[in-house]
Amino acid sequence: MENKELLKQRVEELAGKVNGEVEEILGAIILKIQAPYIIETLTAAKSFADVPCDFLHDLAGLDLGDHFEVVYQLTSWNGPQRLRVKASVDRENPVIDSATRIWQGADFLEREAFDMFGIQFKGHPNLKRIYMWDDFEGYPLRKDYVTEPIELRNLVRQRKEGE
Amino acid sequence: MSIDKTEDLILNMGPQHPSMHGLFRMVVHLEGETVTEIDPKIGYLHRGIEKLAESRTYTQFIPYTDRLDYLASPHNNWAYVQTVEKLMGVEIPERAEYLRVIFGELSRIASHQVMIASTALDIAGWTAWSYAFRDRERILDMYEMTAGSRLTVNIMRIGGMSAEPPAEFWPALKSFLDDTPEMLEEYYGVFLGNEIAQGRLKNVGILSKELAQSLSITGPVLRGSGVQYDLRRAEPYSIYDRFDFDIPVRYGCDSYDRTMIRMDEIKESIKIIKQAVRDIPEGPIMAKVPKVIKPPVGEVYHRVENPKGELGFYIVSDGSTKPSRVRIRPGTFVNLQMLPIVAKGWKIQDVVAIFATLDAVLGEVDK
Repeated sequence: MENKELLKQRVEELAGKVNGEVEEILGAIILKIQAPYIIETLTAAKSFADVPCDFLHDLAGLDLGDHFEVVYQLTSWNGPQRLRVKASVDRENPVIDSATRIWQGADFLEREAFDMFGIQFKGHPNLKRIYMWDDFEGYPLRKDYVTEPIELRNLVRQRKEGE
Repeated sequence: MSIDKTEDLILNMGPQHPSMHGLFRMVVHLEGETVTEIDPKIGYLHRGIEKLAESRTYTQFIPYTDRLDYLASPHNNWAYVQTVEKLMGVEIPERAEYLRVIFGELSRIASHQVMIASTALDIAGWTAWSYAFRDRERILDMYEMTAGSRLTVNIMRIGGMSAEPPAEFWPALKSFLDDTPEMLEEYYGVFLGNEIAQGRLKNVGILSKELAQSLSITGPVLRGSGVQYDLRRAEPYSIYDRFDFDIPVRYGCDSYDRTMIRMDEIKESIKIIKQAVRDIPEGPIMAKVPKVIKPPVGEVYHRVENPKGELGFYIVSDGSTKPSRVRIRPGTFVNLQMLPIVAKGWKIQDVVAIFATLDAVLGEVDK
């Protein structure tokens, strides 16, 4: 497929600039980078010549034990090209730049990744929990989150002074 | 005393409210009756389906997908089982592919009928509601005779279909398809052709093409904003490349066109089902898959065109019988981002209309 070879070539050029690694799993091109390069990578991918990846389809967190990954599924409005960008984020201090400046649609998706994994998106306009309530403790989709039996759970939220 | 400015009012709508389509809450800031700010609050129906997936086997997770967009459950099954099949490299029998298309498109029609009905209901058109729900009942009957249940049908399996439709399914399907043009005329006559309905929907809630693309909006909402993008054509999955159908697109960018696009799509779905019924071959409906599903180590992302937007599944496998991570990308969750932006400056009754044309199902939004 011509389109795919062209995309692979572009991704490899970009990988050289951002210290990334290119992989291919089940036909999908994957670019692995470190968190500080994310804005540079996404901006470049959005304006690839001939094969722009200008449609942020999905953004999700991934817990790999010793570190987190933020997975961006990029595709295009006008072509079949698809690219998966994986940014590795430190587990102790999970901070990454927000993609909301590039795509407004990253807003809810980043809030979800923050809610479920505790990943901080720097520059996000409204980084609050989205599914869980604001004073919920812990990050449910982390692998070390303890799902206790329902009998042990404090189902009634304690009222605070002045509520 | 000056009267040109009223005091700001904060109004809480939902979570239990007929126009909120489930459990959705929005905090609306009003100046008089004009909306100045909307803060959508979701999560009242959050069940942690992604976390539940990690402690279940691949097969056990299929019924959970029914509970995402419960108005089009066959489509959710389809997205999930196709993702696992892609991960395992399973080829499924021809007949199963055709049956999946038939049930997928039937669920698209049913979902769009509910959308038309609930939009009518939200702008106080009770009559149209009963017409669309009457017709949807026939699709639910077809689900019931095949799978045994009506809403969360759980009809697909990894490798094929759970059941062969019984003999009475085919005449029921044929008579339904023959009646649909008349049904659409009725919906148009009783609801969308109505002057009051048009007055409530036309030019309300403009979502421009550029904004829609920047917000990653998909599905009929996108096509109502003048972008002719449909996964069934852009990246044909299953056997959609074999059928002859159009991708409807409307350029009004308003609530009316977002509703009308659903009427157009029902017509296209009927075309597809008719071709599928004509071409369906005889044969088995299940591929030979192992009893214990154990995909190889790897990861896969797959997306399908759900009736309400694109549904994506990202599955990471560690080689065991349970997935290491299942990520669900619900279409309406992403589409919902347009509400606070687009509804600003409209009256409170218009916000209800704009939210209705988004066709959000909170089972899918909240996961």
